[in-house]
Amino acid sequence: MTERHAIAELVYRSCMLLDQKDFAGFLALCDPAFHYAITAFSPEIRKEMTWLEHDKAGLKLLFDNLPKHNSDHSPLTRQAIVYTVEPDEGAARARVVSALTVYKTALDGGITELFAVGKLLDAVKLDGERPLLVDRNVRLDTRMLGIGSHIPI
Amino acid sequence: MSLDSTQWHAKPKFPETHYVDTRLYTDETLFREEQEKIFGKSWIIACHESELPNAYDYRTFQHPAGTPLIVVRGEDMKIRSFYNICPHRGNTLLYDPVGSAKRIQCIFHAWSYDTTGRCLEISRGKQGYQDRFKCEDTGLREVRTTVGYGGFVWVNTDDNALGLQEYIGDALGMLEPHMSMPLEVFHYHKAVVNTNYKLWHDTNSEFYHDYMHYFNRITGMLQPGYFERKYVGYPHGHASVGSMQIRYDAYEGSKERGVGWPGLAPGGWILIDIFPGMTYNLRTSLIRMDTAIPLGPNKVVIEFRGLGLKSDTPEQRAERIRDHNVIWGPFGRNLHEDLLGVYGQGRAMRDRTDSKWVIHGREEDMTIHDEGGMRHFYAEWSRVMGRSASDPFGDDRAAPESAKTRAAA
Repeated sequence: MTERHAIAELVYRSCMLLDQKDFAGFLALCDPAFHYAITAFSPEIRKEMTWLEHDKAGLKLLFDNLPKHNSDHSPLTRQAIVYTVEPDEGAARARVVSALTVYKTALDGGITELFAVGKLLDAVKLDGERPLLVDRNVRLDTRMLGIGSHIPI
Repeated sequence: MSLDSTQWHAKPKFPETHYVDTRLYTDETLFREEQEKIFGKSWIIACHESELPNAYDYRTFQHPAGTPLIVVRGEDMKIRSFYNICPHRGNTLLYDPVGSAKRIQCIFHAWSYDTTGRCLEISRGKQGYQDRFKCEDTGLREVRTTVGYGGFVWVNTDDNALGLQEYIGDALGMLEPHMSMPLEVFHYHKAVVNTNYKLWHDTNSEFYHDYMHYFNRITGMLQPGYFERKYVGYPHGHASVGSMQIRYDAYEGSKERGVGWPGLAPGGWILIDIFPGMTYNLRTSLIRMDTAIPLGPNKVVIEFRGLGLKSDTPEQRAERIRDHNVIWGPFGRNLHEDLLGVYGQGRAMRDRTDSKWVIHGREEDMTIHDEGGMRHFYAEWSRVMGRSASDPFGDDRAAPESAKTRAAA
């Protein structure tokens, strides 16, 4: 498996595991120093916004607390396409840009609607047995998300 | 015991002030009347002054009475508002939600205006209108605009309505000392929800629904002082809820707020509802502002703003942003639950679902689980609309015998 192939697998697997709500599986793809954020730019207030931000431990706590909250159960489906992989040989890392589309499917009847579009801006660590996510910025273009979600994209 | 049809439709065992007919949330006629009698005559928050930092900066705003507005800062740095409608052929003047417009020019026929609403030029005016019609004969329709109460830009489409100060009265008294310094919006997003705007405002008018929020149960309801906060009602339908100390660190993964707010006790919380659909929510390290723009009886746009101090250091601002979004961002712990709740109400209270009553009958000496805040809102609604919220179409007056039968059932 080439390096680009392995990195793409990592991105796709991260989407599949979140779709399946396999949060432990998702976190296993993340380096201990993992940093996660959901960001967007608001033209209305002309400012960058950070809508969610956690380290790996914080993300695990968020996942652990989910059953205690009231949440919409409609499943989300994440579709990523890896656009570019830029290796930084010296740092044993790669910067990855992927297009992201997220759909929401209603439990009642199964109608699917678009939930959000944006990009996954990932930093991947390459000096271990397998590539690991060390930073993910879910950069959203969509800023109206209906009733929102408790689960990170 | 379950209820049969007669019992389901019977008036609740409460005074008429303690319940409303759910047609308030579904009826098209009532909605149109609300647009005219309530939104068309109330002071409404259009944006915040920090969204218009420079001369010629503008924001567009869909006024809940129906009119599209431009809110623009002039060369004199004064903020004014106008209909976003060209007086020539009715086109939208400014299409983008934000921008800079020293000259407001209609794309259709190039008529142009300045930021005081004055007509600057009618393209080929002399050739087409001779002396019959000139720039002096037209201009933009100006809307009353006042900046105040934390730097918010308030608009009123009724030229004859009360002034803003008279409208607010003492309602924001508890909060005013904490808004004396310049504020800045750091968060903005909108949500369209299939529900009635009043159902959203209800979630900010009572806290019995903290049962829905795991975060609030742990950090608030189980903490000392929670049940001692009191509602206070003010003229024109406004209401306030007193402060308490929130224990943020009681929620696993959350921590006490390091960045506070000038003059506010650590962990402090002050909430003030402004009729008909705005809520100031000073939550320890930030101010939240929710504004509701109804699009129909069962559709509302809710704008969510988070504000900090203009003087924030980057570190302070970053902490306020985290504090805001972990709870009230689109992926926050509480906001999704609130929206899920009102979305569920919207589903269950649509036309033809046979929903009948919303009960707000809790009485606990006006403390935090008392539903007096909601009763206060609907008392004002009834006064302004000239209709009883519990009997908006006068069914009881039309058929009093039926009403007695229903009550006795």
